[in-house]
Amino acid sequence: MTADTTATPATGPRTLARQRRRASVARFWRQYRTHRAGLFGLAALVLCALAALTAPLTVGSHVQSVTDAPGAPLESPSGRFWLGTDQFGRSLLGLVVWGSRVSLLVGLLAAVLSVAIGALIGITAGHFGGWYATVMMRITDWFLVMPTLVLAIALATVMSRSLGTTVLAIGVTTWPTTARLVRAQTLAVESRPYIERAKALGGGHGHVMTRHVLPNVMPLVLAQTTLIISTAILAEATLAFLGLGDPTVVSWGGLLQDAREAGAVSSGDWWYLVPPGIAIAVVALAFTLCGRAVESVLNPRLGVPR
Amino acid sequence: MKTHDQHGRGRSRRPGRSRLLAAVGATALVLSAGLTTPPASAAPRAATVADARAAQGTAGAQDSAGSKGSKGSKVLTVAVAQSVDSLSPFLAVRLLSTSIHRLMYEYLTNYDPKDGHVIPGLATSWQSSPDKLTWTYTIRNNSRWSDGQQATAEDAAWTFRKMMTDQGAATANGSFVANFSEVSAPSPTRLVIRLKKPQATMTALDVPIVPKHVWEKVGDFSKFNNDKSFPIVGNGPFVLTAYKPDSYVRLRANTSFWRGAPKFDELVFRYYKDQDAAVAALRKGEVSFVAGSPSLTPAQAASLKGQKNIHVNDAPGRRFYALATNPGARARNGKKFGDGDPSLLDQRVRHALFMAVDRRTVVGKVFQGHAVEGQGYVPPRFATYFWKPSAGQELRYDPAGAARLLDEAGYRRNADGKRVGKDGKPLNYRLLCHATDPNDKAVGKYLQEWWGKLGIGVTVDCLDNVTDPWLAGKYDLAFDGWSVNPDPDFVLSIHTCGALPATPKDTGATDDFICDRTYDQLYARQLAEYDPAARAKVVKQMESRLYDLGYMNVMAYPNAVEAYRTDRIRSITTMPSAAGNIYGQDGYWSWWSAVPANSGDSSGGGTPSGVIIGIVAGVVVLVGLAGFLALRRRATADDRE
Repeated sequence: MTADTTATPATGPRTLARQRRRASVARFWRQYRTHRAGLFGLAALVLCALAALTAPLTVGSHVQSVTDAPGAPLESPSGRFWLGTDQFGRSLLGLVVWGSRVSLLVGLLAAVLSVAIGALIGITAGHFGGWYATVMMRITDWFLVMPTLVLAIALATVMSRSLGTTVLAIGVTTWPTTARLVRAQTLAVESRPYIERAKALGGGHGHVMTRHVLPNVMPLVLAQTTLIISTAILAEATLAFLGLGDPTVVSWGGLLQDAREAGAVSSGDWWYLVPPGIAIAVVALAFTLCGRAVESVLNPRLGVPR
Repeated sequence: MKTHDQHGRGRSRRPGRSRLLAAVGATALVLSAGLTTPPASAAPRAATVADARAAQGTAGAQDSAGSKGSKGSKVLTVAVAQSVDSLSPFLAVRLLSTSIHRLMYEYLTNYDPKDGHVIPGLATSWQSSPDKLTWTYTIRNNSRWSDGQQATAEDAAWTFRKMMTDQGAATANGSFVANFSEVSAPSPTRLVIRLKKPQATMTALDVPIVPKHVWEKVGDFSKFNNDKSFPIVGNGPFVLTAYKPDSYVRLRANTSFWRGAPKFDELVFRYYKDQDAAVAALRKGEVSFVAGSPSLTPAQAASLKGQKNIHVNDAPGRRFYALATNPGARARNGKKFGDGDPSLLDQRVRHALFMAVDRRTVVGKVFQGHAVEGQGYVPPRFATYFWKPSAGQELRYDPAGAARLLDEAGYRRNADGKRVGKDGKPLNYRLLCHATDPNDKAVGKYLQEWWGKLGIGVTVDCLDNVTDPWLAGKYDLAFDGWSVNPDPDFVLSIHTCGALPATPKDTGATDDFICDRTYDQLYARQLAEYDPAARAKVVKQMESRLYDLGYMNVMAYPNAVEAYRTDRIRSITTMPSAAGNIYGQDGYWSWWSAVPANSGDSSGGGTPSGVIIGIVAGVVVLVGLAGFLALRRRATADDRE
């Protein structure tokens, strides 16, 4: 690391920092490339993200309109409707593409919320210690032993049915593992001598936590986020499937719920069930693969990838 | 009969869980006290107690034998999607419970399965006095309770008197006796009812007659659920022998039923929360009949139609499916409550909303043809009372006309294309929908788009429990539906001012808080009219008035779509017999008349091939897993210490 910086001509400290960061990103990418599964997951994710972002151009918001649905109810796949139609005669391919927007959005937001809560509690608990940490960790334990789904169902039931509710329900139920991880890492970081040095030089709590601890736990948080996204997407689909999502929004879990209510399961209308199911599985898998790869790059102690 | 929709649409006024628990304790005490008291002296009485115990023993034995029943007994298993609210005929309002009461107890009169006209039940004949105020019923002498005692006029008189004097006993069917002044039984075969005012529903008293000698021991009628001692004493075609909440209800054929014994030995209503699971059970032969909730979905019906040994019954239903508009909830004491949108008090707005609803699309797309387009309040199946709006009166699908009406009413579009009220706020209605009903959600999607084009925002509020906001008047629009009886009195009565709750805190019989003077006058007139033709005319005027008011807009009359196995049931009576429903009839005809197919139990017997395949697959997976683990153990043997 130091060899890089001394080799370049001396410029301002900002440029130096920028160069250092660029170098570490490049190093990260070099290592990440060696994980074939991680690359595969990343490719799948990029495809999904592209499909979701370009959905307004490719399928358009009118795919979810029931009043001008183009097909007959529950048509099987054909040249016109590649994945068949749903009970209203809407194209399922269009709906699956359109539904990716909600599923990805909810997954991302819920994961960000969950990791934000987890990181905040983990860092503060690790930094302050004492009774504060004891109280926070007992709360974390309590959330940890509560079955996530039951808690999320309870939350989604009492609040009005909207996307925000789903995000909140998933976010506030999945943070404890992050909090535990981040606290452990915080304790490890804070025991290093340079933290003591910073404190001796007059660094306050805020300075230590944001300038020294946070950058050091960030890689962990990043890996955790990628992993939690897949959990969140699955949780969103589960809640929607149980009929606790917003019924007016098209999402993958919601499509599965619609299929069940339309009686597609017992009628053998597989094209209504399989595409959203596969989409959920693929995206969840892709995020998990990416998360694993990121984790093993950032944390050498995990050892060589098998 | 207040036949609520199968999925509890409208409200069920049943006691809360805590009250139920208390009731369980109380009734257990009462019953044990009753049982331990030695019978006074009468020898036959002692014999009946012994009888009852013996019967209980056999019921228990059958229980342990499982639903297949003992050898040779013919069991008819019905998959239902509704749970029982109460087995007490004084409390039960749900369709399943009231249907079961039809099977357990005889009513004074019954309806003919062919066309629904009134025929004798427990009463063989009846007549009214010239002043229309005294009704005399002749009670049949060949109906016995299942404990051996004779069913008499005194049982009927006691049942009615109990409902008149005990508020708790009037919970479910109190409206029938509200107008009674005196009920007496001068002889075991004569029942005399004196009325305060003439009442046209005297031959359609849908009240189960209960045995006085059993029920007079009951303490609190508002809490007793009739589910403590089995079999339950009754005189209907079936005797209830076992019941487990949210699981099953089991009934045994009453071989001494006066109209003749049912052909099946046992009838089981089994609860399936998931309709797809019920359909799968029908395919596999675990159940013989599936009653949908409220009907099979078009996809399920289509896929079952092609199946061998399965018959799909698709017939005009007795329900209407409507859009209710909050008319400003209020109580009888004049207090207003709730928060219905004030713009809905304008008749033009209500009409405009309904004119933007394309009923043909609702029937064609959501029900996929398994329904009839909505017209008046009473479904066309009840031809006597069916009414259709005239050409000038009809609120035809006309979005442009609807937009004009809204403009006239002063709700014009703003720059964003939204209709704005007098207070400058855009119109946005909450639409209350049953989260358990797929049709509500589907129609909600259409309404959102149709009204969206009109410039009106809609928030679809799908809840598991719609009762709370509904009773509190906290809705703008709501999906509503009722099953209609051959005598429409009940579904008409729920829109009178008298049905409003007494105070905002009370629960009234009202459906949608409608209170209209003209309608009430017509209601009183039809109730006092004994001439059927003249009464039908008044009822049609009421429907016309209701249509014009626009608070209750019928979108469709959904069909009854149900399916049964023809290798179990050879024949079964529909009602009306030409094309009608099987589950939830006005009467016991379907289950009483069902003839078992004599193909034996071959289809359900033996281990189905699916189970074998499943077991084999499971074993393969387990072996594979074990092998994988063994390999893995060997591969990492060096790493382990």
